[in-house]
Amino acid sequence: MLVRDIMKSPVITVDTDASLSSVYSVMHDHGIRHVPVMRRGVLVGVVTDRDLRLATSALAAKPFSPQAKVEKVMSQPVRTADPLDPVEEAARTMRQLKIGCLPVTSGGALAGIVTGVDLLDALLRLTGVSTGSSRLEVGLPDHPGELARLTGLLAARQVDIRSVLSHADSPGRVRVVLRVATIDTKAIAQELRAEGFEVLWPPQKPW
Amino acid sequence: MVIDVYNPAYLAYDFGPGHPFSPIRLEMLLDLLDALGHPFHPMSPQPASREDLLTVHSEEYVSAVEAASSSGTAADPDRFGLGTPDNPIFPGMDLAGRFVVGGTLEGAHLLYYDKATTVLQLGGGMHHAQRNRASGFCIYNDLAVAIRYLLDHGSTVAYLDIDVHHGDGVQAIFYDDPSVLTISLHESGEYLFPGTGEVHELGAMYGRGRKLNLPLAPFTEPDSYLKAFTAVVPQALAWFRPDFLVVQAGADAHAADPLADLLLTTQTYETLFKRILEYGEKYCRGKVLFTLGGGYDVRSVPRVWALLYLTVHDLPVPTDLPPEWRQRWQEKLGTDLPAAMHDPETGGPAVPLREEIAAHNRRVTERLLDSLMPYWYLGV
Repeated sequence: MLVRDIMKSPVITVDTDASLSSVYSVMHDHGIRHVPVMRRGVLVGVVTDRDLRLATSALAAKPFSPQAKVEKVMSQPVRTADPLDPVEEAARTMRQLKIGCLPVTSGGALAGIVTGVDLLDALLRLTGVSTGSSRLEVGLPDHPGELARLTGLLAARQVDIRSVLSHADSPGRVRVVLRVATIDTKAIAQELRAEGFEVLWPPQKPW
Repeated sequence: MVIDVYNPAYLAYDFGPGHPFSPIRLEMLLDLLDALGHPFHPMSPQPASREDLLTVHSEEYVSAVEAASSSGTAADPDRFGLGTPDNPIFPGMDLAGRFVVGGTLEGAHLLYYDKATTVLQLGGGMHHAQRNRASGFCIYNDLAVAIRYLLDHGSTVAYLDIDVHHGDGVQAIFYDDPSVLTISLHESGEYLFPGTGEVHELGAMYGRGRKLNLPLAPFTEPDSYLKAFTAVVPQALAWFRPDFLVVQAGADAHAADPLADLLLTTQTYETLFKRILEYGEKYCRGKVLFTLGGGYDVRSVPRVWALLYLTVHDLPVPTDLPPEWRQRWQEKLGTDLPAAMHDPETGGPAVPLREEIAAHNRRVTERLLDSLMPYWYLGV
């Protein structure tokens, strides 16, 4: 899944000389928290609702007036993403820099924007359920070919795989969660156990 | 007046040896009712017509089933869900499916024209079948066809689904329809097929607040299940006041079911059936249409559905199963069958995380009721 699959476009932007109160209105009217700032069509900064609140707070040493220009409070330089970046790359950047959005540029032009909420949507799409399927969860030794052995057995049973998620849960072991298009996963689990797989779901009933 | 609906043609709904959805379960049930000495004079339905099917299914899907049914193959299993491991193609599957639909539709006729107060359709309950797709052993959605018939005659319908799997087909077909209230209790889709049935699936458009889901944790026990059921179902029916109640009485929430992980007992089921009849009496003039559904453990399914039959007909529940019935089926199946109608009263297995599971189900119940309040009482 790439950034271009989840980014929002077109992007709502403001100019560097926009007043803080006008930027506030833009955020309020569109229900957004992140606005790229442009100078003559070129991306030069990002302003967030938090930037506005901190800058104008009565608690600030020198609060900005509502008429101040947005370029005084925007963040710069701007970290951007490429439309062809994988979404996990975008997520990692945002977490490392503790930022809430990445403007997406292509050939120097602003092409879209990705926020943390878009990444949550991506998570829902990756784990979501569109047609009937059941959970099958297997612990695999972290060796080449283990996942292939698992999916090979499913293919032999003509069982369609709808999604696959995996993560390393302890050294040397990978936990794989599949959504498989069958109502009868217990029969599959039984066969996988007979083949030596560690099936974590569905469980074997102890009675 | 209670009327049973059944046609021996239901037994032709058979995906072949080794498939869990076996007609043997129905044969065992009928033989058990016979052995219990209850004269069984069901209404014998006609198969539903193509036009009946088209009230809820797409033309291309019905044509695909017809083609598969006569040729025995499907070009692309993924397209309509036909020819998959769950829904293998068998000759005559179109007619077998239409007989099942015809039975449930006959039940709707009997209720609508006041020939019966309560109908027990001894078959059907194909709640996974979608408008355009076979799913989870279900080819044609008999429940949706019957509900559509009642709607088209100006009625409102509540649909209650106690099968262990989410009633996704019925919910999807009526998702934006304000005249249908659906309530499904099931093992959470996070684990179990079909994966849907989350609390936040509340319906669309004017149907919002009229699609209810209680996704319960695996290993939910009778007490916790009954609490969730009782907190939601009567309140929903009291608010909606349906003309008719259609119930999918799947037996696969029983602890012994080989496909799922809830821990209900035969006693729980008897309680559920009694409560459903009581609510029907209270909120919709007793107009209840029961169908069967899932349920794959031959040791428990005939007992659960016999209890349904006995409860609906207000007949006494015997302590023991007829020995000759037990003998006969033990020989046929080569497996031991319980001697008593009910599960042993010794209680179920010791369940780890019992408290956490019950707490989870309480939270799910509260979250559902909280989400419904704006639609029910604030007129959002």
